[in-house]
Amino acid sequence: MIDIFLNAARTIEPNAVSEEKQHGKLVVGYTCSYLPAEILHAAHIIPMRLRGIETHSLEIADSYYGPFICTFPKCLLQLASQGSYHFLDGAIISTGCDGMRRLDECWRKAGSDYHGSLPSFFHYFDVPHKRESYAISWFIEEIRKLIQHLKTHFNVKITDDAIRQSIQLYNHGRRLMFELDSLRHTEQVRISGAHAFAVSVAGTILPRELFTEQLALFLNHVKNTNTIMGKNQKRLMVVGSVNDDLELIELIEQCGAIVVSEHLCFGIRNEDDLVNETGDPVAALADRYLSNSACPRMFGYFSERLNLVKEKIQKAHVHGVIMQNIRFCDLHGSENGLMEHALEALGIPCMRIEREYGSLTETGRIKMRIQAFLERIES
Amino acid sequence: MRPELSEYPFDWMLWRSLISASRLKHGSEKEYQSALRYIPYFKGVVNTIYNMGSPGQKFLKIIETYVERIVTAKENNRKVAMTTFCFSPALLHAMDIVPVSLEPMTVLGSVMWKRGCLDYMDFCTDIGFSETGCSSQRGSMGAYLARAASEIDFIVIDSAGVCDTNSNAFSFAATYLNKPFYGLNYPATLIDDQTKHYHRDDYRNMITFLETHTGKKLDIDRLREVLNQHAKQDALIHEIEELQMLVPNPMPVTYNFLIYAGRFFFSGVSLYTELLEEMLEIVKQNAKQGKSGLTGGQEKLRAFFIYIDHYSLDLKLWTLLDQRGISHLGNILSRGFSAKAPYIKYVQNHGYQIDTSTLDSMIDSITEINARMPMVRSIRGPYDLPHMWLEESAALAKLLKADCCVYNGTPGCRNTWSNVKLIANDLEKHGFPTHIMYGDAFDERVESWEITSTRLEEFFTIRGLL
Repeated sequence: MIDIFLNAARTIEPNAVSEEKQHGKLVVGYTCSYLPAEILHAAHIIPMRLRGIETHSLEIADSYYGPFICTFPKCLLQLASQGSYHFLDGAIISTGCDGMRRLDECWRKAGSDYHGSLPSFFHYFDVPHKRESYAISWFIEEIRKLIQHLKTHFNVKITDDAIRQSIQLYNHGRRLMFELDSLRHTEQVRISGAHAFAVSVAGTILPRELFTEQLALFLNHVKNTNTIMGKNQKRLMVVGSVNDDLELIELIEQCGAIVVSEHLCFGIRNEDDLVNETGDPVAALADRYLSNSACPRMFGYFSERLNLVKEKIQKAHVHGVIMQNIRFCDLHGSENGLMEHALEALGIPCMRIEREYGSLTETGRIKMRIQAFLERIES
Repeated sequence: MRPELSEYPFDWMLWRSLISASRLKHGSEKEYQSALRYIPYFKGVVNTIYNMGSPGQKFLKIIETYVERIVTAKENNRKVAMTTFCFSPALLHAMDIVPVSLEPMTVLGSVMWKRGCLDYMDFCTDIGFSETGCSSQRGSMGAYLARAASEIDFIVIDSAGVCDTNSNAFSFAATYLNKPFYGLNYPATLIDDQTKHYHRDDYRNMITFLETHTGKKLDIDRLREVLNQHAKQDALIHEIEELQMLVPNPMPVTYNFLIYAGRFFFSGVSLYTELLEEMLEIVKQNAKQGKSGLTGGQEKLRAFFIYIDHYSLDLKLWTLLDQRGISHLGNILSRGFSAKAPYIKYVQNHGYQIDTSTLDSMIDSITEINARMPMVRSIRGPYDLPHMWLEESAALAKLLKADCCVYNGTPGCRNTWSNVKLIANDLEKHGFPTHIMYGDAFDERVESWEITSTRLEEFFTIRGLL
């Protein structure tokens, strides 16, 4: 039952997406959790959060990006340029952070060097860094521009009713995800951190109807399982920058801990609140996505993020927090520094890991550090 | 941080160094030369500044006054705002708020002290700030975070949407120091109606923030005075910029630095106007005589810096350029993009106007000035779109008859390091040999000045420019 989620989380082009594609469905990739995927869904397009897994070299990306840049956007560029994203009908680049927003130019330039690597629909999506009323108005305009561009380019209809229906479907999926997450908070954990994380990542990849349907079944299965895990194991939380790599979570769990909560760029942190299902659906989306200050790209909201993490620590009875960030991610790198001080002051052990994005190129080093961290918690 | 550095406040030490430097010429030349023997690491920068003649001395006075205001703010009952170089200080001066602009303060430490601001940079890392963050903030910011500098009251910046690394540094400082924080946020576009409205709303909201935290209303007369002074400064700068297009360029090599540093310190304040007046006179005299502003009198090459300069001890970049006969045509920091600027019609003609008729028109004017500050104007959106980095760099390089372009920055600059290879390729296609410097403008541990300068000279040689 978990297989469909694992397949989605472990591959660039999951089977379920390929099948839909064969039936003529359009797929548009996007780079940041601040993109309201409901808009694409309302246009009968599969929204797919872009990921850099399956990258084996950065030889193309390094010739566009400079050396002091996070490896995540570089991996995306590498995959796009080498044709791994051939199945995309479009891509939306958001202003998640400076490195990510410059993927716009790098991809466009690579597109002219590597024929066919640039999807015909390519959109720059500006997202405010604050949430005052005038920022929300700006964001509403950005969403409307996106809607207009999608309509014109793909000759699709995106009605308010369709957006409302998409919001309802997404909200339903969010509720299921909360429920699954809450099952990790109990003393007797019924799902591993790696599997729970696979579900979260798959939520950004799979066609939403399929995801929701499968999640409901999986949730039922987990509720009724007799398998209990995490007994006498240290309960950890993983926070920080972009990570869609199941292997990191698996590695932590192989070291003898269980991951019971996350607050990562991918995953449950972006699903923490629901979109208002009444009123103007575009305004509702703008309000919900911008009021989500879970990412340090929203400057000046550290205390809210800290409170959110503290709340999760309490709910999930966390013994220690692993804070990871990709090298050159200054936003999460600094945030982790502040958070470490604040949490350690409360007696919550923390460990910071700076690493490269990708399929655990540094497994040995990271494993040793996790083991040392667990020893510290034990003592 | 070394304990001795916590003994004396960073800004106080800068201030005392500047006072001493400005007094060095009070005696005879012989006394001056003797004094230099006792300041082996400081004499280089002192000499460079004094060699600028009267504008150099005036500039020393400007920075001394700037730092003195910070150090004495509390005894004068004035609020202190930590801010950034790309935020126009004009509004703060109009509201009687003392600005501490971190990057220029880091520059002062870097060019004046052999130790630079490295200890303060490291302090930031010690307390959890990302070591890959931009050194321009990390330098002086470390001193303020270590409480080894004057106390600040609040933080106001304008880099969200423009430079995450910058915004992130200040937002870190606000959390660490537990100070109120306001960050202006810019959309990716510059001139459409939606953006203009957004600029106005956000800027006005910031004024409310400043009024709340100072307990004072924005004084209309004072704002008018500052803006009038600003307009006067713009006019002087435009005249210098007009003359800078001549071949040979009559502008002494260091004047670009004085222009932008002066703007960051005292936009809208008469001290800066006086400096510009003196500089203009010298540039005019040189132009009249058809003379190059370079010390050697012969201009061999004209270089346009597309980003920032290199601030190693003693302002060595400028010495190198001067010695090699290379005119410095300015960089991203140099220009303000007023509607009356001589280059504005070449960059799609969207400059700011200064209208002092009503409070509203003045706030709109200062809002648009701020929206065109370095970086804020041209790296907010994709670099190859209208009004952005490529268009600006190519147009200015052409207009100023540059022979080549040079990029220098810091490894902490995610924004430009994400597309500098692209813009370099584009500038080459425009016919400008372009060099990318890999050092750090504020931290020579990344790459020593000797290596940086060797590579720069290699570029000039290999590309047949010198």
